[in-house]
Amino acid sequence: MSSKVSRRQFLNYTLMGVGGFMVSAAAMPMIRFAIDPVLASSEGGDYVPTDQKADELTETPVRVDYTIKDRKDAWYKSDVSNTAWVYKDGDKVIALSPVCKHLGCTVSWAADDSHPDQYFCPCHGGRYEKNGKNIPGTPPTGPLDQYEVEVIDGLIHLGKTMPNTLV
Amino acid sequence: MNWNASDMNLFLQQKEYIDTLVIPLIKVETVEERMKASASATDFLMNLVDYIELQFKGRIMVAPPFAYTPSMELQQFGERLSGDLSKSPFKHVFYLTTDSEWTSIEIRGNVLWLPSIPIENMDDRLKQSILEDQLKQLLPRLTEEWRK
Repeated sequence: MSSKVSRRQFLNYTLMGVGGFMVSAAAMPMIRFAIDPVLASSEGGDYVPTDQKADELTETPVRVDYTIKDRKDAWYKSDVSNTAWVYKDGDKVIALSPVCKHLGCTVSWAADDSHPDQYFCPCHGGRYEKNGKNIPGTPPTGPLDQYEVEVIDGLIHLGKTMPNTLV
Repeated sequence: MNWNASDMNLFLQQKEYIDTLVIPLIKVETVEERMKASASATDFLMNLVDYIELQFKGRIMVAPPFAYTPSMELQQFGERLSGDLSKSPFKHVFYLTTDSEWTSIEIRGNVLWLPSIPIENMDDRLKQSILEDQLKQLLPRLTEEWRK
């Protein structure tokens, strides 16, 4: 047998090659689609830096303002200002969302003179303990949400909100 | 709450809690030399209203802004507006404006006048603290009304 490729072989190979390419072009998106949940990257890495130094935190919650740059909401691109109440519990850094669980007003630490060690909602007098636990008898029905926290280079970085894990 | 369908749904369910309406009153200047100041004042007022809405989402509904041009009769406009709104389900009505003309007009409800601050060239942080200060000055008027 000569090593020359015959006309028949050449046609076979080219047809197989082109056919295979076409089949894979059709099949790949289908496979990709079927296993998509496996490939989805986890979105835990979206931490936003703040100006708050971790070693300046105390047991008393302080207000930390930060800005999420270039947030894309559909075709709008905007900077979103956000706030968190951050304190230290032993070695752990706790960051709570200021959004009242009643109707979404903004709560503040020690804003009410008669309850200096609680969060206070100015709208309807809702109150929360330091760890975000809602005080029974006030309008809120659940504890304040918590932020994912990471300390990077000594600065507090905040992630997404999650349900309160301390209560 | 904002004046949109989803917030309005929430309002209709929670009427006993959301009892306050805030109405921005905006003067639209038509003379070229005053248009810049008018636009800047509008910018300031709308930013402030947004900030108030964020802080008091669960108690305050923000109405769409009411705008008027220089020759419009404010006394009559104010009477009609406040007359209509006194029939609305809102217990407290606040009018927020940077136009000093409203301070001399008698209407039902509270007129909160404040001077415009040109915030358009400020960075976010400064803007935020200015708005915060302004709200702090308005706060006693709000809480005083709420105590009634």
